[in-house]
Amino acid sequence: MVDPNFIASLLASSIRAGTPLLYATLGEIITERSGVLNLGLEGIMITGAFTGFAISLATGNPWLGVLCGGIAGMLLALVHAFFSITLKANQSITGLMLVLLGLGITGFLGRNYIGEVAYYLDLIKIPVLSDLPYLGEVLFSHDPLAYLAVILAALLWFILFKTRYGLEIIAAGEKPEAADSMGVDVDRVRYISTLFGGFLVGIGGAYLSLAYAKLWTEGMTAGRGWISLALVIFSGWMPQRAIFGAYLFGGLDVLSFKLQAIGVGISYHFMKMLPYVVTILVLLVSVIRKRAAFGAPTALGTPYVRGKKE
Amino acid sequence: MRDIITPIASIAASLVVVGILLAAIGINPLEAYAVMFTSSFTSKFGLAELCVKTTPLIFTGLAVAIPLKAGLWNIGAEGQLYMGAFAASVVALYSNLPGYAMLPAMFLIAAIFGMGWAAIPAVLRAKFDLNEILSTLLLNYVAIYWVEYMVYGPMRGKEVYNFPYTDLFPDIATLPRFFGTRFHLGFFIAIIIAIAIYYLVNKTDFGFSLRVVGANPRAADYAGISRQKVIIYSMLLGGMFAGIAGMIEVSGIQLRLRPLISTGYGYAGIPVALLASGDPLLVIVSATLFGFLYVGGSVLQTTYSVPVAIVYVFQSLIVLFIIAGQSLRRRG
Repeated sequence: MVDPNFIASLLASSIRAGTPLLYATLGEIITERSGVLNLGLEGIMITGAFTGFAISLATGNPWLGVLCGGIAGMLLALVHAFFSITLKANQSITGLMLVLLGLGITGFLGRNYIGEVAYYLDLIKIPVLSDLPYLGEVLFSHDPLAYLAVILAALLWFILFKTRYGLEIIAAGEKPEAADSMGVDVDRVRYISTLFGGFLVGIGGAYLSLAYAKLWTEGMTAGRGWISLALVIFSGWMPQRAIFGAYLFGGLDVLSFKLQAIGVGISYHFMKMLPYVVTILVLLVSVIRKRAAFGAPTALGTPYVRGKKE
Repeated sequence: MRDIITPIASIAASLVVVGILLAAIGINPLEAYAVMFTSSFTSKFGLAELCVKTTPLIFTGLAVAIPLKAGLWNIGAEGQLYMGAFAASVVALYSNLPGYAMLPAMFLIAAIFGMGWAAIPAVLRAKFDLNEILSTLLLNYVAIYWVEYMVYGPMRGKEVYNFPYTDLFPDIATLPRFFGTRFHLGFFIAIIIAIAIYYLVNKTDFGFSLRVVGANPRAADYAGISRQKVIIYSMLLGGMFAGIAGMIEVSGIQLRLRPLISTGYGYAGIPVALLASGDPLLVIVSATLFGFLYVGGSVLQTTYSVPVAIVYVFQSLIVLFIIAGQSLRRRG
C-alpha cells in the first residue's frame, strides 16, 4: 500500500523542484521563439543563484536577491545577444562559453559564501485552501515565486499568441525577412526576447539558492540548465505545456532522491548522469522526427542579415 | 594573411578582465601575474610543470582543431579524455600484459575509446544532423560520471582506504619521468603527434578534403568529396587525440584512475585550437600559453588561495574575444 502522505509530499516537492526548471524553460522559450538559441542556461542559472544568494545575504532581503539574480541573468544574456544578434557569430559556441564563464566566475567569487545562511523566501499558506487534506499541501503551501511561475506561464502564453507583440516575436523567429518587410525591427525584438529570457533564467537560478536549497554551493545547478533546454523542446515551445514538463522532471529528481533515502539502490552517479542522457535522447527524438514537427521556430539559431537570401 | 592581431588582443583583453576580477577580491593583479610568471619560468620544477600541463593541452587542442578544420565543433574532448583514461586504466590494472606490451596496449585502447566516444556525436551529426556542439558537450558529463561511478564502485582499489581511487598502476604501466621532476615521456609523444598531424592536414588527400569541407561544403560536393565521411573521420581523429591525452594523464601523472583527472583540459582545447587558428604546429605554442595559465592558476591558488575556477573564466573570455574579433574583421 502506498502511503497517501508520501504521495502528497512527493507531489508538493515535485512542484518545488520543478519551479526553477519552469522559470528557465519559460525564459528560453521566449528567447528561442524570437529566433535566438541560447545554450548558456546552465551558466546563467548558476550566476542567478549566486547573485541572488549574495545579495540576500548582504541586504537581508531575499526579494532583492531574486531581482538581482534576474538582472545578473539578463547581463549574461546581453553578452549572448550582442554576439549572436549584433556580431552574428555562431550562437552555439557563444552560449556554451556563457556556461564556462558563469561556472567560472561563481566558483571564483562564491568561495567565501559556502556554508553561509541567507534570508530565504517564506512559504505562503493560502488561507482555508491550504487546510484541505492532501490537496492543501500539494497545491496551496508554497513560496510566492512558485505560484508566480504558473501565472507567468499563462501570461506568456497570452502574450505570445494573443497580442501583437507576441506575433512579432514569433515572426522574428519564423520568417525574419517577412517580419522585416512588415516593419518589425527583428534585431530589436530578438534583443528584448533574449534579455527577458535571461532575466527569467536568472530568477530560476535565484529560486534554487533562495527558496529550494536555501544555501549556496559551487555548481549547484547540477545540470538543471541542460534539462531546461530539453524541456523547451519537450514542451514544443509552448509556455503552457512547459508547466507539466517542468513538474514532471522536478518529480523525477525528487523521486530518485527519495528512493535513495529509503534504500532503493540506484547509483548516485547514474542519477547525476540522467539529466544529460535525457537531454540527448529528447534532442535525438526531435531531430529524427524533424524539428518542424515539434514546432521549432524555423529561423532558430540563424542570424538575420537584412537583404541576404537564406 | 594570417590574423595575429586578434589572438594577441584577445589574450590582452582577457588578462585585463581577469585582473579586474582579482582586484575585486583584493589581490593586486600585476603582482599576481608576476608571481605566475616567475614560478613557471625561473626554476627546473616550474618548467617541468609547464610541460606537464602543456602535454594534455596539445592533445585536446588537436582534438578540437582537426574537426574544426571540417567545420565541426568538438566540445567533447573532456569526455573523450575521460573515456581514454578509463580504458587505459582497465588495461593497466587488470590485463597482466608483459612489460613491453603494456604501454602500447594502453595507448591503443585509449585511442579506440576516445574515438568510440566521439563516434556517437559524429554519427548523430552525419546521419541526423544533430547539433554536435550540444551532443559532444552532454556526453562529457556522462563520461565524467561514468569514471566517478567506476572509481567509487567496481574499480576502487584495495589499498586506498576510503578514497575514490583505483590502486596504483604497476610500474610497467607508467611513463618514464626525467630530471627528478614530473616531466615525462608524454611531452615528446605530444610534440611528435602534432608534427605528424601537421603533415596529415597539409600534405595528404585526407587533409585536403578536410579543408575543402570546412571552407566550402558545396565545393566539396562538386569535387566528389563525401561530406558525411569527412565529418565522421575528423571527429574520430579528434576523439582519438583526446583519448590518448587521457592515457597520458593517468600513466604519466596520476599513476591511477580517480575523479577529476582533468581540470577542464578538454574545454581548454577550444581556445588552444582557436588561438592557433587550427594549425597543428601553432597548437603547440598556444597549448604552452594555456599550460602557463594552468601552472599560474595553481600557484595563485597556493599563494593567494584563488580558486582554480579562474582558469575557466580565462578560457571563456579568450574564446569570446577571439570570436568577437573574427566577426568584426569579417564585417569591417
